[in-house]
Order: sequence, then structure tokens, then C-alpha cells
Amino acid sequence: MSRVDVAASGTVERSTEPIVAWRSWALTGRSDGTHLLLRPVAGRAHAWRPREIATATCKRRGVLHEAPAIGCRCGLHASQTLDILRRTKCPAVLGRVALWGRVVEHELGYRARFAYPQRLRLICQFCFWQKGPLGSGPTVVGSYPRDELVPLCPAHLESAYENGMAPRRLLRADQVDQRLRETYAVDPLAI
Amino acid sequence: MDIGPPKRIIEIEPVVLPMPEPAPEERRPAVEPTPVPVEPGG
Repeated sequence: MSRVDVAASGTVERSTEPIVAWRSWALTGRSDGTHLLLRPVAGRAHAWRPREIATATCKRRGVLHEAPAIGCRCGLHASQTLDILRRTKCPAVLGRVALWGRVVEHELGYRARFAYPQRLRLICQFCFWQKGPLGSGPTVVGSYPRDELVPLCPAHLESAYENGMAPRRLLRADQVDQRLRETYAVDPLAI
Repeated sequence: MDIGPPKRIIEIEPVVLPMPEPAPEERRPAVEPTPVPVEPGG
């Protein structure tokens, strides 16, 4: 069904069960590993704050409208499969996310009005791009300018040094991972 | 992320919100991340 067909049908199904789907985030925090914050991997959308419902808003095309709208790309995005996420820019955290409110279901994913993470896990973005979730076991988290935190496996930490991308400081990935889950009060993602 | 064309619209009103209660202000995580010494060159 095309965008026009969905809009024209006017049919809205109703449910009381949140949809749970895949999502990746970028991660920011202080160089000591505090003030961890999940952020969208693309664009300038708002950060996902701990213990607060993430709410979609949209001002695209100059008009504030309720998100997600059928004629727009707005809303909190999540995917049905992990493979799509391997193409996202700079993912640091992989997780399962609950979606509710108005949800537009697409062929390969969703756009939702409200969301909150359910399970989280740090990933080495380079391993994730190359091998998927099975190859993404970071041992350290590098601290970079603008509070960017990048989980890295030993091989890709070495590559970072070789390519002039040395982190300012390194933290233990298992401790950042645990702190992230405590901060958001969610369970670990086992894959 | 390309999620393809839209299929349907669902209005979901959960009986229980899928998120934790707000934390008390004084709550602090049990684990303090330990810095790992950075060795030059690698």
C-alpha cells in the first residue's frame, strides 16, 4: 500500500500492546563515563533522556505537526530486523525499543509517537558494520571531543590509533555498559 | 534508515507504560567506570 493509499484508507487499528523493535543510537557522556545519554545516530533530533518517554515532534516543511505524519518522514524510527541498522551512521548502542501512541508501520520498520528502550548493549560500530551483532564485542569506550563516546574492540582501537583517531581517554566497556543500563533502568540485550 | 513504504497506522494505548518509574534524585549507579590508561601509539 502506498503512502497515498494508507492516508486515503483512513483506517486506524487499535491495540493495547506496544510494538517492540530494533534500534541503534549514538552515545554521549563525560570522559569519566558519567552523564550517559542516548542520541539519534542521524540528524539533530532530541536525545533520549533516561526514565523519560521519548516523544516525536516535527517542524519539517515549516509547519509544526503531530508526529508521525503519513506525508512526512517524522517519528521515532525503529526497524523489524537488525540488518537495516548495519547501514546506520556511527551506532554505539544497539537495543530493543518499545513503541506506542500513533505508530505508522512500514514494510521494514516503524515510526512512532512515543518510545522507550527495553534492552541495551554497547557495540563496536566497525564490527557491527562488517559482521553484524556477532562481531561486535567492545572492550573499551573511547572518549572523543563533543562528549562523543565510541565503544571499540581491541582491533578497531588499534586502527583508531593508526589512523590518528586516538581517544582522549579510555573507559572499560563492561562498566559503561552496566552504567548505561542502570541509568535507563533496562535489561541487557543478549544476542 | 530506509524502512520502506507505509503499510498501516496503529493507535497503541498500553495498559502499563513500558518504562521505569522516575528515579529519586539521590539515586546513583552502583558502578563507577574506571579509566583505562591510554598508551601512546596503541
